[in-house]
Amino acid sequence: MPLLAIDNISKSYDGVLALNQVSLSVRQGIIKGLIGPNGAGKTTLFHLISGLESPTAGQISFGNVDITGKAPHEIASLGVGRTFQTIQTWGTMTVVENILAGMHTRVPGNFLSSGLWLPWIHKGEGAALKEAKHILEFLGLLGRWKWSAMQLSFGQQKMLELGRAIAMRPRLLLLDEPAAGLTPVEVKRLSEKVCQLRGQGITIMVVEHHQGMVMEIADEVAVLHNGELIADDTPAAVKKDPRVLEAYLAGAVG
Amino acid sequence: MVADNKSEFRKRDLLLTGGLWLISLILPDPHLPYRKEFLKKRDFVYLGALVLLPVIWPGALFLMGLAGIYAIVALGLSLFLGYAGQISLGHAAFFGIGAYTTAILTTRYGIPPVGAFWASAGAAAACAYLIGKPILKLKGYFLALATLGFGEIFLVIVREARDLTGGVSGIFGVPWFSVAGFTFDTYLKQYCLIWGVLIGLVLFAKNLVRSKMGRALLAVAASEDAAASVGIDVARVKLGVFVISAAFAGLAGSLFAGVISTASPDAFGLGLSVLMVMMVIIGGMGTLYGPIFAAIFLTWLTDSLGAYQEYSLPIFGVIFILLLIFFPDGIATRLNARLIYLISYWGRKRRRERIDQ
Repeated sequence: MPLLAIDNISKSYDGVLALNQVSLSVRQGIIKGLIGPNGAGKTTLFHLISGLESPTAGQISFGNVDITGKAPHEIASLGVGRTFQTIQTWGTMTVVENILAGMHTRVPGNFLSSGLWLPWIHKGEGAALKEAKHILEFLGLLGRWKWSAMQLSFGQQKMLELGRAIAMRPRLLLLDEPAAGLTPVEVKRLSEKVCQLRGQGITIMVVEHHQGMVMEIADEVAVLHNGELIADDTPAAVKKDPRVLEAYLAGAVG
Repeated sequence: MVADNKSEFRKRDLLLTGGLWLISLILPDPHLPYRKEFLKKRDFVYLGALVLLPVIWPGALFLMGLAGIYAIVALGLSLFLGYAGQISLGHAAFFGIGAYTTAILTTRYGIPPVGAFWASAGAAAACAYLIGKPILKLKGYFLALATLGFGEIFLVIVREARDLTGGVSGIFGVPWFSVAGFTFDTYLKQYCLIWGVLIGLVLFAKNLVRSKMGRALLAVAASEDAAASVGIDVARVKLGVFVISAAFAGLAGSLFAGVISTASPDAFGLGLSVLMVMMVIIGGMGTLYGPIFAAIFLTWLTDSLGAYQEYSLPIFGVIFILLLIFFPDGIATRLNARLIYLISYWGRKRRRERIDQ
């Protein structure tokens, strides 16, 4: 039984077909790479899974629950974490608060009890802070926990965004171009972290332009081209697939 | 020669750091440093100033009372506008709902002021819930327009429902606020009451801001997509903070009715709503103390400009424009940013000089 099952999903924007009848499944505990030329519909697929947009047709189910058309926060609280292509850390908050905000669904409190700072709020916030520091230590950002998030460098902000998604304790983690704009050293560190997360039992889906990284860490790679799925196999097999080669070479030459 | 230079710098450093430390004691909180510490030294400095004020300057008590009432509204609006990043031009209506609830309950039904006080908050919160459910889906200008419309509708209802609200002339003879037989009938007692309530609400707001709800507010203001991606229910958070800030305004309205003894529609127009928004913006978005300082400043300014009659509005306008030019992100935020910059600049400069030698 796959953790995530995408069944014949289509998405069109005013008649322009971004995704056409894509079916894809992600097994528990693997890293699934998702590659394709620009405009292939990779980010659209992520938006559909995380609920930011709803599909024109088709169905998405996550761990036996039909999540098609659900609100983003409902899907997130089911255990789907994600990062964004353009960094979306909260610059008005400190680094540790960004991580703490990621734990929103797990920290107790509502407007009344938090305002009155009842005993269980105090306990919950303390525990959350301890855990947030662990996550920052894992990402190598502990030394900057009191910094404002906007004072971090680009690479560190990418890491912070990853940390915010991990803080949710997701079952499925969607990484939208995590390596874009990073230096080779940072890319290497990032792949290490992603592999460690897989070791902790988190299923990960990566959209990436950086093919080397995806081919290295992914267990399976799916290739999208013009909104259609043209390959879905192990990295080695995908590299040899004639249709994939054609899609990429056609893009490069023409 | 070099040695002389060095000692001179040391002396100046000492002087400057001392001065900066003194300023940092009275400056409002910036929103960037980690907010885990609940009470800091400057909180006690503020408290001391409040306690000392009646002794030092008894003449200012009435104005400070009024400023305190506006500060309560500004504090609530700060959560909604400064933290959650949503605009409301209808907060005068919630203030008015609070005032009228108290006025009607105490004069018509003989309910004691304490009961009316809580009922006012409840009435304002209930209205905010009903209004907020449909209109908080709007953003930016559209939300501003919708809340503006709500404020105007409230005024029309108050003017037309003569049997209930006394129409244009309003309700007179609202009894002084009293608790268990103790009546707040002098300026000093009212000052203590209002600022006591304000201190309670500041503590509430401080707790809110350092808890997960405060983080949710800032998250919603910065990026709704990112907020939803970590499981924050954006619509519920917005509604919740709208209700809380309306309840603050309701409490302030109740105190207003209990201190001024009247409730009439002139006091709750668009002018007041705009003034509230100005308090939050001038005070500093995303700060709690900034709007309170701005409330004191603007109340004092309005009062002292009253002497110039027809020139008061232009002068007011010029001061606003100057403030917005020199402090575009609020007095509190900007001064703090300058301060942080200065301190870090001094640190850098000293390090540079050490390396040069």
